[in-house]
Amino acid sequence: MGQAVSAIEVTNLRRVFKTNIGVLRRRAKEVVAVDDISFEVEPGELFGLLGPNGAGKTTTVKMLTTLLLPTSGMARVLGHDVARQAEAIRHRIGFIFGGERGLYWRLSAVDNLRYFASLYQMDPQVTNRRIPELLEMVGLADRGKERVEGYSRGMMQRLHVARTLLHDPELLFLDEPTIGLDPVGARELRQTIRNLQAAGRTILLTTHYMFEADALCQRIAVINHGRIVAMDTPEVLKREVRDLSIVELEVFGIPPAVVDRLRALPYVDTVSIENLDQRQSLRVQTPRGAEAVPDLMGMLEGLRVGRVVVREPTLEDAYVRLVGGEA
Amino acid sequence: MNLQAVRMSARVVAAAAEVTLRQNVVDAFVLFTILLQPLVIAVLAMWMLGGRGSENAIFVVIGSGMTGLWSSLLFMGGNSINWERWTGTLELLVGQPSHMSLIVFGKNLAVVLQSLGSMLASYALAAAFFQAPLHIAQPLLFGVSLVLMVISFVCFGLVIAPIFLMNPQVHHWQNAMEFPVYMLSGFLFPIALLPGWTTPLSYLLTPYWAARALHGTSGGTASSSETLLCWGMMILLAVVYAFVSRWLMDVMLRKARADATLRME
Amino acid sequence: MMRRVWLNLRLFLQGALLSYIGLFAWLRPATYLASKIVMPLAQILFFTFMGISATGQSNAHFYIIGNAVQIAAVSGIYGVTMSVGGDRWAGTLPYLLGTPANRLAMFSGRAFFHVIDGITGVAIALGWGVVLLGLDLTRTDPLALALTILITTFSTSGLGLLLGCISLVSLETMFVNNTAYFLLLIFSGANIQVSTMPGWMQAISHVLPLTRGIAAARRVIAGDSLAQVAPLLVGEVLLGGLYILVGYGLFRWFEYQGKRRGTLWGF
Repeated sequence: MGQAVSAIEVTNLRRVFKTNIGVLRRRAKEVVAVDDISFEVEPGELFGLLGPNGAGKTTTVKMLTTLLLPTSGMARVLGHDVARQAEAIRHRIGFIFGGERGLYWRLSAVDNLRYFASLYQMDPQVTNRRIPELLEMVGLADRGKERVEGYSRGMMQRLHVARTLLHDPELLFLDEPTIGLDPVGARELRQTIRNLQAAGRTILLTTHYMFEADALCQRIAVINHGRIVAMDTPEVLKREVRDLSIVELEVFGIPPAVVDRLRALPYVDTVSIENLDQRQSLRVQTPRGAEAVPDLMGMLEGLRVGRVVVREPTLEDAYVRLVGGEA
Repeated sequence: MNLQAVRMSARVVAAAAEVTLRQNVVDAFVLFTILLQPLVIAVLAMWMLGGRGSENAIFVVIGSGMTGLWSSLLFMGGNSINWERWTGTLELLVGQPSHMSLIVFGKNLAVVLQSLGSMLASYALAAAFFQAPLHIAQPLLFGVSLVLMVISFVCFGLVIAPIFLMNPQVHHWQNAMEFPVYMLSGFLFPIALLPGWTTPLSYLLTPYWAARALHGTSGGTASSSETLLCWGMMILLAVVYAFVSRWLMDVMLRKARADATLRME
Repeated sequence: MMRRVWLNLRLFLQGALLSYIGLFAWLRPATYLASKIVMPLAQILFFTFMGISATGQSNAHFYIIGNAVQIAAVSGIYGVTMSVGGDRWAGTLPYLLGTPANRLAMFSGRAFFHVIDGITGVAIALGWGVVLLGLDLTRTDPLALALTILITTFSTSGLGLLLGCISLVSLETMFVNNTAYFLLLIFSGANIQVSTMPGWMQAISHVLPLTRGIAAARRVIAGDSLAQVAPLLVGEVLLGGLYILVGYGLFRWFEYQGKRRGTLWGF
């Protein structure tokens, strides 16, 4: 169990959920949340799991943090099997699922931290030193004695960060850590994550923000519908779309039938729509670039079209292409 | 098990107990179960049984206090794991290295100690109602019985909590388990009034032995061999519960991780 | 005029239907079994045995009847307050209040099915008394008993409507419910003779529902005729009606306050 062992080793991991539909006559339905994924994370790496909502990111993390048993396949964290050697893993990892749950609302931040410190079997002297340090680090030093129920969403998220670092784990699982934070808070948290990695920790981060994965991660696995569709460094992933240009058209209420026709065009790779208030931004990936514009405009005959821009692809576009235009 | 491990475990238990106490102090439901309900039962019992004279007073105090203890254990101790699931903290507790049994033990300990308060409240009420001093005939033996009761109740809770989590059907019968245990344990009337076939059930319940010991030592009606029998049974049952619960917890945790029920979706 | 009556009736029944659905949505068969059949039995047995140990077997019927009729409080209080104070209701309430619909019909419809549910509960409880504890119903006028049960569940539902209103604005519903239920155990005379209570307690007993109903039930089962218990029953009905009106008044007051202050129901 030396340095050569991967921090995380996932082989053919699969997780199926059984749900029941209906109230009176219940039918069983199976949902495959994670479908045969494999990857490895090296010690000291900042690895990203990137995918849209419902892709299976959280399910994967729950299996790796021993909260969920895999249906089949194998996962090893720090050399131990997640299903059978869970106890050996638990004091060496930290995890955040974030949000408003997972904290004791009627207690203060300090009391919450103290409780978890006891559970992680930390020495009381060490605890007394670390709690103020951590609160300072996440910017909650002056509100530590207040009850958590009065905290904003962002403050709760920051408290989660403090909690997860209490016992100084060598491996961190951060599930969508910047969700719910304002832009400034999110930026500060990203810097904190970089610092944590610089200090030698291994971090697995999940996110559905492409720019976040691009900014932080050394390697990214793109996951969609429970499968890994691509895995590499951000630079290599961007090269995936090197041959593409993106035509961005501003439209107003485009009918789905027209979008389908656009998708069916031979020189169109993907079409994705982003809704912004009254307008929609139609993004067409095509190798033909500016040459495709007249034909595309022809397809949009009769519809109101605003700004048209032809630009270079970003990681976001690579991501869209990888997940088949559904982001 | 070395000394370091024992100290660690004790610290986890104490931490869980403290956190539970702090949160319960401001909870209206807890106040109801610990104070109001036993007091109402105490008033009813005192009225109904009061005609027997003031020697009966201590019997009513102990009996109604025990109803509070059982209700607290049933509702709060029994829900200890479920409650963590409702607040979204169960995942965090499972994912940390200390064993769940220690945490549930601490929570139940807090609940039982708190509801000893209900016995005190009944005591105060009875003193006012009967206007006669209430005294405990065998205070030392009573004290030991009390300690054993706390331990055996906490261990009983260790069994109830995972059962309630694993089996929602059983959980729905939680309300229906309140009064029957009052009866089978002989809190406020002797079990001789009940049909004979229920007696074995009574013997399986640690509240029965606790009540018998506490009634006997407070009223001075129990012989020393009888008191020793009660103590023995409480210790035996506590040990059995502790073993069974350890196994149950592991089964529960495994099942919850397989079925993805650690979090309410 | 007829149209107005018809509209109000429909509103009443819609509220009734919603509370019915609410009742059975969360009530699975197992829970229903536990709460409707086992719990009343447990309560009756507990107090009856306690009473027998104190005053002997001959007085058993006092406790059996008292607790059986008190079971009406389960539906009346828990059922109705959940129905009125429930999230579902509070979610649709702002929309309903924006309509010109009749508030009284809207409000009291919520109690309808719980009255029926309550009657079932009392009937089952009395059944247990007969089967297990030898309760003697041979001298009972069935019509009088049926009427007594109906009226008693009606009046406890009235109290439930009032409590439900209160719990719309205070959030500790279960605390209010549990306290009310247990206090009724004392004050309704289910287990204690009202006449033996000190004056101030008797006063409270007489303004609470259930007291006259239990007294009437005891007398009817002992052989009294409908005419003989009529004064008690009339009193119970009027009391129930009074609770409904007070609850309704509170409801309207909250509505007014909500509109004035811009916070509807404290949500």
